[in-house]
Amino acid sequence: MLACLYVPLFPLAARLRSEPELKEETVVVCEGNGGAARVVAATRKARRAGIEPGMTLPQARAILPKLVARGRDRAGERAAQEALLEVAEAFSPRVEDGGEGVAYLELDGHPLLRPPSPSPSPPVGGRGDKGLPLPAGEGRGEGALARAILVAAEKALLPARVGVAASKLSARVAAGLPDSPTVVPEGEEPCFLAPLPLARLAPALEIAATLDRWGLHTIGDFAKLPEGEVASRLGEAGRELHATARGIDPRPLEPRVPPPSFTEGMELEWPLASLEPFLFMAHAALERLVRRLEAQALACTRLETSLTLDPDGRDARAIALPAPTRDVKTLLTLVRLELEARPPGAAVAGFSFTAHPDSPRRAQLSLFGPAALSPDRLATTIARLAALLGADRVGSPRSVDGHRPERFTLSGYVPPAPPSSRLPPRDGRGLLAVRVLRPPVALEVILDTKSSEEKVRPVSLKALAPDAPLPIAGSVRVAAGPWSLEEGWWGEAPADRDYWDVELSDGGLYRVYRDRKADAWFADGVYD
Amino acid sequence: MLTAPASAPAIEDLLEGKGLAKKSSALALLSGLGAKISRASDLPSPSAPRDRIPTQVPALDRLLSGGLPRGGLVELTGRRSCGRFAIGISALAAATSSGEAAALVDLGGHLDPQTAEEAGVDLTRLLWVRPEKLKGAVASAEMLLSTGFGLVVVDLGLAPVRGRFVPDAAWLRLERAARSRGAALFVLAPYRVSGVAADAVVSAGAAHALWKGTGRAPRLLDGVASRLSLADASTNVRLNVGH
Repeated sequence: MLACLYVPLFPLAARLRSEPELKEETVVVCEGNGGAARVVAATRKARRAGIEPGMTLPQARAILPKLVARGRDRAGERAAQEALLEVAEAFSPRVEDGGEGVAYLELDGHPLLRPPSPSPSPPVGGRGDKGLPLPAGEGRGEGALARAILVAAEKALLPARVGVAASKLSARVAAGLPDSPTVVPEGEEPCFLAPLPLARLAPALEIAATLDRWGLHTIGDFAKLPEGEVASRLGEAGRELHATARGIDPRPLEPRVPPPSFTEGMELEWPLASLEPFLFMAHAALERLVRRLEAQALACTRLETSLTLDPDGRDARAIALPAPTRDVKTLLTLVRLELEARPPGAAVAGFSFTAHPDSPRRAQLSLFGPAALSPDRLATTIARLAALLGADRVGSPRSVDGHRPERFTLSGYVPPAPPSSRLPPRDGRGLLAVRVLRPPVALEVILDTKSSEEKVRPVSLKALAPDAPLPIAGSVRVAAGPWSLEEGWWGEAPADRDYWDVELSDGGLYRVYRDRKADAWFADGVYD
Repeated sequence: MLTAPASAPAIEDLLEGKGLAKKSSALALLSGLGAKISRASDLPSPSAPRDRIPTQVPALDRLLSGGLPRGGLVELTGRRSCGRFAIGISALAAATSSGEAAALVDLGGHLDPQTAEEAGVDLTRLLWVRPEKLKGAVASAEMLLSTGFGLVVVDLGLAPVRGRFVPDAAWLRLERAARSRGAALFVLAPYRVSGVAADAVVSAGAAHALWKGTGRAPRLLDGVASRLSLADASTNVRLNVGH
């Protein structure tokens, strides 16, 4: 059995998905510009007022002056179509993209279509034995499954209809009927189609006119005609239409390959020149994107932003995330920081976000050991911290080979799993720590002139810059040193220093050095 | 004069669920896993014994009755070179060596990974965050506490603290975050900043350097001796240079 998932008035549904606040308004979606713009789809309120697809926008406005008109949003429609296909993929691995607002899916093998087994069944609302979702509603069979598909589509903000039949055509026609879901039992396709008007088969205009001239109005009337006679008069197209009228649809399901990324975006009515209104629109798009990722149990590991600039041009940029996340606030903050750092240089007329998915990290909790951090939450926190402070200011510190005290490197924070039971803490060594000053503070040093050149000794220190971040000034009470440090003499930035530990009159303990090459003094650490 | 209607159930009855027998949503607020309302007597008492993370500095652990309390804020204040940073590193070493994830919010970016490793810190379990302003440090600490780190050490660097002051309410928020996650929050500051939010404020005073060698002999820095004191108790601590 096949199911057809169909979204009526798809351009309008895609627009309302992007701008849900328009749901209560009288809205039409138009194609074309200015006075030549034609209505493609209209809300129920507009249709009741007499507005029909095909009307020009001025004609529609003559009927309803307060009509809200929107252009077709191709980016939004693409995203809505992807969302529709993802809803279908939640129920079947074989899904065909049927074009604007249409998706076909194969239902064979779904747990709800199998006869109930005597063994205890999985709980309703849980997951079936193939990981496929079971509906929260009652019952089994095609009807219950179709209702579950409808609920899932509604969650994806798509007002869909579902038709279930043995062939694609019958399923598509069933999905077009207002009382959704419609299930056509296998083998009863001709009976189901017979009373329906011929227009349901969407015949070509020429053939439709011919059939109308023949006085045929229902599919059943057309199906009763002899096949050979129809083929000789209407040609190959007529023969195919006749076969479909008899419920014969030889087209197989052509499953699609799911794309490796998720995209959401929209074309804007007016170009946006300032950041805040753009972020307002971006927030809604990112929310939809995250909802789609969540439905697939995925998280975003890389976010690509593509901006359509006004009047022409495109701005593309990519944001790599430290770890997969589904946190909208984090993603929005990263987009904001990226745009603030590198403004696009022109007003934005449209945008799209592409999320490259990855599996969110999961961890097993321990009963007796220290609590493990939730990898998903940790990833979100690290991403938020990176957005707040900068990516180079968050990470796991690592020691580096060498002798320069200021050396360090950062790596990604991936803590090992905690031990299964809490370990006793190592005995403290009670070591005095050094606060490393990065960058070192330049000093003005008075030396003991009585000493010989080899036994030079600092007597007084003072920070060279009056606005130095760390005020250092005072006479030296005790000085120990010097210790020589020479490193990297073969490189471009060699270190050739004489180190001293000094205690100043204010009680501060500093690690200072003389750069022998530049003959300058610096403080690079405070013992604390 | 306003009087309660005779049929109105007493608050005790409401908490028992007696007056809400037919209102399942209201009952859910009072009982079960999703309960949002509880009696004051059911709340953990601030004076109840709490699990503690030892700092492995015996003098401080003695003062704090075993270490940093989980679900509480301890502030250590002291002037430059009093051993404040070393005590913070020691607490991180104790927590990470017992398998706990810990974070250091380092306002001045002063950490030396080599020294920390020598002091026993398991660097793979340590998240190092280097904000530039005090506001960023407080925001980072709140995020880390809500993530589930067992110990968060916030070092506000050397005086003067870079950035502006944050209101007392921010420290209260941090203390609440630590309490709700059962995490220990250890603030190292040159002067008292956390106001009334801290469970304990330890001040390190009367610090002096210890030198090896006297007279004209070459000197060697041996360590720092400092006096730690709570409001009603004090003890001495000695930290050595790890040569």
